[in-house]
Amino acid sequence: MSSSQPRNWKALLLSHEMLLLYVLIAEWLFFYFAGTTVNRRGVTVGFGTVDRQFDILRHSCEIGLLALALTPVIITAGIDLSVGSLLGLCAILFGKFWKDAGLPIPVAAFLALGCGALGGGLNAALITSLRLPPLIITLGTYSLFRGLAEAITRGAVTYTDFPAGFLFVGQERWLGLPTQAWLFFGVAAAVWLLVHRTTFGRSFRTIGFAPEGARYAGLPVERRVAMVYILAGLIAALAAIIYTARLGQAKADAGTGYELFAITAVVLGGTSIFGGTGSVHGTLLGVAAIAVLKNGLACLPAVMRLNAAEDMSGLLTGALLLLALTGSVLPKLLSSWRAHRPAPAPSAPSPNPQPSP
Amino acid sequence: MKSLLTRLGLAAALLLGSVSGVRAADPKLVVAFLPKSKGNAYFISCKAGADKAAKELGIELLFDGPTDSNAAKQNEIVENWITLGVDAIAVAAENKEGISTALRKAQKQGIKVVTYDADSMPDARSFFVNQATPEGIGQTLMDEAARLLKAEGEFAMITASLTAANQREWQKHIEARLKEKYPKMKLVAVRPCDDLKDKAQSEATALMSANPNLKLIMAICSPGVPGAAEAVKQAGKTGKVKVVGLGLPNENKRYVHEGVTDSVILWNTGDLGYLTIHAAVSLAKGTLKPGAKSYTAGKLGSFTIAGDNILLGKPFIFNKGNIDQFNF
Repeated sequence: MSSSQPRNWKALLLSHEMLLLYVLIAEWLFFYFAGTTVNRRGVTVGFGTVDRQFDILRHSCEIGLLALALTPVIITAGIDLSVGSLLGLCAILFGKFWKDAGLPIPVAAFLALGCGALGGGLNAALITSLRLPPLIITLGTYSLFRGLAEAITRGAVTYTDFPAGFLFVGQERWLGLPTQAWLFFGVAAAVWLLVHRTTFGRSFRTIGFAPEGARYAGLPVERRVAMVYILAGLIAALAAIIYTARLGQAKADAGTGYELFAITAVVLGGTSIFGGTGSVHGTLLGVAAIAVLKNGLACLPAVMRLNAAEDMSGLLTGALLLLALTGSVLPKLLSSWRAHRPAPAPSAPSPNPQPSP
Repeated sequence: MKSLLTRLGLAAALLLGSVSGVRAADPKLVVAFLPKSKGNAYFISCKAGADKAAKELGIELLFDGPTDSNAAKQNEIVENWITLGVDAIAVAAENKEGISTALRKAQKQGIKVVTYDADSMPDARSFFVNQATPEGIGQTLMDEAARLLKAEGEFAMITASLTAANQREWQKHIEARLKEKYPKMKLVAVRPCDDLKDKAQSEATALMSANPNLKLIMAICSPGVPGAAEAVKQAGKTGKVKVVGLGLPNENKRYVHEGVTDSVILWNTGDLGYLTIHAAVSLAKGTLKPGAKSYTAGKLGSFTIAGDNILLGKPFIFNKGNIDQFNF
């Protein structure tokens, strides 16, 4: 026991999540020192301000929610490309329920959440009944949901003029934090408990690792997989409401491309794209690492002058992801290389054989 | 690990040093300039004028925008500028209401806001630099058509749609000018092209065969101008049926050089950027205040202010002589 203790510590300190945490801290410190300045009026501005930190939180809530929604999906070896489009559709429906149907905001929000669950249910039904790869099914619903959003608004209607009480959710602070952060943390805690602390959630990994095995073991695989997609739809709808409150508008292009950021965050957080392994806290770290990188870059004077914050954050996020993937595969490669390497023989020819004249 | 950390620390310190060095020696006014999308040639030509103004005024100009027209990204960029504590922000709004929440937040923090090209809600900015009034566009188009026809003969109009608000507004001013000044000219038809070049071309072809005495086609939506020109060219009526319209120089250059299209009307985008930056800087310095009746912007001279709109003034006419100087 005592001999294995240090090894466990070492394993923990070098685990994917811890490494990601180091990267996050390094990023944060770097931007804190390089991205904070005092402006002409003598006010401290840039990365190292509380406002900035809250902005990072506010800007990452929707993508963070989608990443949380995708974590169980990817753990079960699935994928959902439609969450960004579903966000757009739910935002439009929410706006329509409130403005065109004249429903009170809470009712409209409740109905929008229901529509999100229905959208996720459509994915679930197609995936479990047709037994086609989720990639193909959700690629279809990715276009379908966005197309519906554009059809409903004919690409032109934008719902605005939401009441201040609703905008509070996206633009103000409650108990010291941006209001939507509370919702985000609540969902994060719930998904964490589901995935890591319930037998129900733990079965996701079994399903992702070996679906047939799980089936033989008596797990209701189809029903569990369906639940995961419905949950994803529900969370996407919540993200839609937060998005609408943050911008004060619901438009058909809401959340375009968000699914890719969310998948990036999940994979960066250590969840295997082949399913079977992954963690919710890893996803949260992945979201934070991307958000800090993106927002921090925008605070660097050098980057600002080149107008390159957007492009550089894309580039560096990609690099970070590739680095993380390489890092996760490298130990396996090394160990398999070691296993296949012939045992070093001391009598082997010298390492640098010089041709003798 | 340790050496890596030291190296990282060193890199951070170096960067920090260089950064604060630049800042300390550089207490310039900072104005941020937001286009609808930063790759769009139209906005790049606006930026050329903005850069000129920034150089003259000795300020630092930040230019950033979404790579595609994305209202959410515009808000994020503005919020970024707020925490950077810029002195003024100039915005071409992708979405009127959406951007206003961010702009109001900026104003609350003492940042001056102007809009250009596309306005936000009026309470979210001090001034809108208005590139063209409907009246100015309508009158210039009609005057140009009359000049080409020597104020006599039949002409037809191609619009985007018969219901679009801006198109109807322009049409109203064109017809008013016609009635008031050119009694010998006659508007024989107005046809919609749904903002499509192909549809404009087939409508123009139909207009020419239905009206043998047609002397000119006026297109008041940008795809309509090259569409009408293509129809005239294919009908072999170059010079006999003239084409004028509201559009972008690049998509009309070919027809202007071939003599099919005579004049393309828009505003000078460089001047728009130049005026916008001048106005933003004057606001930040307190030399331009709400309620002013006119404003003098550097080399361009004086501009009228109507309410809270700074008017860029008369539209600009692109023709054979000058169209090659513009690239958007």
